[in-house]
Amino acid sequence: MSQESRGVVQGKLDMLILKTLALEPMHGYGVGLRIEQISKGVFQVNAGSLFPAFRRLERQGLIEGEWRATENNRRAKYYILTKPGRKKLKTEAREWQSQTAAIARILEATSGEL
Amino acid sequence: MSLFRIIGGGLRALFRKQQAERDLDEELRAYAEIAVAEKMQAGMSREEAVRKARLEMGGMEALKEDVRDVGWEAALESFLQDVRYGMRMLRKNPAFTAIAVLALALGIGANTAMFSVIEAVLLRPLPYSNPHELARVASTWERGGITTPYSSSPPDFFDWRDQNRSFSSMFAYRAGEYALTGRGEAKRVRAVIATAGIFSTLQAHPALGREFLTEENRKGADHVVVLSYGLWQAEFGGAADAIGRTIELDSEPYTIVGVMPAEFFFPLPGSDAYVPIGFDDKVMTQRGAHFLQVLGRLKSGVSVARANDDLAGIMAELRKLYPGKDGKWGVRADRWSSALVGETRPALLVLLGAVGLVALIACANISNLLLARATVRHRELAMRRALGAGRSRLVRQMLTEGLLLALLAGAASLLLAHWALGLIVSFGPKDIPRLANVGLNGAVLAFTMSVSIACAVLFGLIPALRSSALDAAGLVRMSISPSGEAGRLRSALLIGEVALSMMLLAGAGLLVRSFIGLRSLSPGFDPKDVLTMDVSVPEAHYKNSVAVQNYWEEVITQLRSLPGVRSVAATTPLPLSGDDFSSSFRVEGRSVPEKDEPSAELRWATPNYFRTMSIPLRKGRAFEDSDRLGAARVLLISETAARMFFPGGDVIGQKINFGARGGYEKNEGEIVGIVGDVHHFGVDAPVPPTFYAPLAQAGMGGATVVLRAEGPLAALAQSARKLVQGLDHDVLVGQPMPMETLVSGSFGERRFYMMLLVAFAGLAVLLAALGLYGVISYSVAQRTQEMGIRVALGASDVQVVSMVMAQGLRLAGVGLAIGLVLAMMLKSVLKGFLVGVSTTDPATLSVTALVLLMVALLASYVPARRAARVEPMVALRFE
Repeated sequence: MSQESRGVVQGKLDMLILKTLALEPMHGYGVGLRIEQISKGVFQVNAGSLFPAFRRLERQGLIEGEWRATENNRRAKYYILTKPGRKKLKTEAREWQSQTAAIARILEATSGEL
Repeated sequence: MSLFRIIGGGLRALFRKQQAERDLDEELRAYAEIAVAEKMQAGMSREEAVRKARLEMGGMEALKEDVRDVGWEAALESFLQDVRYGMRMLRKNPAFTAIAVLALALGIGANTAMFSVIEAVLLRPLPYSNPHELARVASTWERGGITTPYSSSPPDFFDWRDQNRSFSSMFAYRAGEYALTGRGEAKRVRAVIATAGIFSTLQAHPALGREFLTEENRKGADHVVVLSYGLWQAEFGGAADAIGRTIELDSEPYTIVGVMPAEFFFPLPGSDAYVPIGFDDKVMTQRGAHFLQVLGRLKSGVSVARANDDLAGIMAELRKLYPGKDGKWGVRADRWSSALVGETRPALLVLLGAVGLVALIACANISNLLLARATVRHRELAMRRALGAGRSRLVRQMLTEGLLLALLAGAASLLLAHWALGLIVSFGPKDIPRLANVGLNGAVLAFTMSVSIACAVLFGLIPALRSSALDAAGLVRMSISPSGEAGRLRSALLIGEVALSMMLLAGAGLLVRSFIGLRSLSPGFDPKDVLTMDVSVPEAHYKNSVAVQNYWEEVITQLRSLPGVRSVAATTPLPLSGDDFSSSFRVEGRSVPEKDEPSAELRWATPNYFRTMSIPLRKGRAFEDSDRLGAARVLLISETAARMFFPGGDVIGQKINFGARGGYEKNEGEIVGIVGDVHHFGVDAPVPPTFYAPLAQAGMGGATVVLRAEGPLAALAQSARKLVQGLDHDVLVGQPMPMETLVSGSFGERRFYMMLLVAFAGLAVLLAALGLYGVISYSVAQRTQEMGIRVALGASDVQVVSMVMAQGLRLAGVGLAIGLVLAMMLKSVLKGFLVGVSTTDPATLSVTALVLLMVALLASYVPARRAARVEPMVALRFE
């Protein structure tokens, strides 16, 4: 049932949501759609993973919810990145980049470099 | 994330729950709408879009549950929900709840009571500051490789005190009894007679007045007294001007110099007064006069082992200086808290183990009940599982129900324990220190709480895991036809219960048998119809042997004239009274170096003593009225002593000379007869070699009157006491006590342990029977249909009954066999408690097994009867 395991690296969904919301405030469906689009369909995030994550991030004060009208004039809860959220995203992203870079170096290593 | 935010967010969520729920619903609806709209824009039909969106979102309730589970308040909330739900379930099944709570309360209550005893006797710190620094220092006497602790002598005490480097202070004391005289009828005062260091070593100080001075430990300066709070209240009504006043102890004046605080006691509750020991110069040289208890306070950081090395060094030096006297004497320090408890400790721990097994059986019982109920509840669980409850949620819920049950039982158990403790205190033997202080307190409550929770986990986990292990489909299937696995699990639990009860019952049986064996042993005299009464004659009034002799002749003549008295005598020390007197002696004509002199017990008695107590005369003659002061000095010897010291048989006519003095006179004389052995230290204790001297020839002031009566002792007791009191008001007359009470009192501790173990085993059997009954009834209820068919096909009552009972007996039989093996393994645990019975005593084990078998028969007969009465038509329509 969970597509999270197929898509997003365990524990990194929060970071992706924060990043998406850093671009612009967005409602739940929009966040899922945006992640799918930007990842070119590699990551598919469903409601079952999104909503607990929203609740978690909201509780941590990293995002805030606000009811707004959509472009099509529907009411939807938009999530907005807060200041602590922005800071958190920065540190998470930096950490992730240094980790992936390190992993890449290890994967590309040849015996001559040792 | 700040703690403030964590707590604040959770609290907000708790209080605005409904709003948050509405919010979530709305958000999810909006999500679905947007999803449908997007999909329709992508070209899907409305129906297709709705279907697709729903599929993508998955189970709504499960999703909401996941969102709700974020944050700590969710855990609390689901716990509270479980509690409410659990309460509902318990209320809905009052019969189940009552049985479970009762069974568990019995198990936990027994544990609570037993732990209270252990807390009061073993765990509670002694009420002195830094009690772990206090150590008992005792002489040890080594004979034949066995080292036994002994009282200490004054010179040894002073050498230890002055030469050691391990103790910051040390004092010596002995228990004593005075008659409080000069204030009407003499009253008994239990005193601690101690050296000046007593209060500073205990770090306890008088609430009023002062402590003893060092010079008050000299004979002549020793007539001061520190009162206990209780005696001060009773005699002086708590008046502050009691200090400096005088009271009469044994008709001699003592100046009150201090009063101890109310909470102080030493060495055990019940001491009325503290009096300095007056040493004279002579006693300071008597290294063989062992009559002192010694207590020291270790310097901080000094271990008991180091103190022992230190003391052993001192003792080695002393042995060099006094080779004659101290050849076999040693010294040994023990932490006082453990020295005080002594042999009580292992017994109590064994009982705690036994009572733990009872709790285990109770848990197995509840586990079984829950398993049975779980089969019924599978439908409910399947429903909840289908609605999205996770496995851990179900386990949590079932454990919460168990916890509720256990806590209810824990509360009920406190009532049971309170009641049981009342019994324990009133029936408990006096020789278990601090048993009277037992009670329910914080430590006990904490213990009960922990046991309850442990029980809840123990009995709740198996059923919870089993039910939750199945997925929804499995649960639905289970609710229709229960699997055999649950049945096997329940049978295994039941077999365990029977096995443990068998083990406990066997242990109890062995103790009972050993006890019965002990009771049938003769103490060496006939205690029936004999009354005893302590009489202490104040030295101040009876200053010489003649006065004492005349007093005793008067007392005995007067008592003999009372109606119902068959014979009267006096003796000291009385068998089984806890007092004794021993001394080394010389046999005239044998030249033995002083250090190798034999020693034996010495008793004093009036002529009629042996007839009154029915102690047989084996050879020669007993004492006669003519064995008085001035006549030739005579002695009697016990059979054991005769065998031990005169293996050649030439006993009569030997002249014996004792080193120690009893009363005013020296103890020496010619052996004129051999009398039967007396178990002075307890019926189960070895018989000591004993000599008897005539009370009159020794000039003994204090002794115990023994009366053999015809007719009831109670009526005689009061008239006898009044009569002796009437002769001299300053003579202290103790409460008369039947000799049989003393005899049974000497079994007190054994009987106490036996009764507790019997009670625990009884509980265990009761619980196991309940368990068996439950399992069989349940299986009968489940097989109603099958029974109906059997009856319809012509099975007779007897066949149905025997079929059902066979099932019960099979389980019980397996349990019994396992229990029998377990019981055989009790050997090392029980060995120390059994006298004259082997731990694998076949008679006891078979009787035990038979009893359990009968119980099992009964427990399965009742449901079997019910099975046989099944109406075939009703049974077939069932379900």
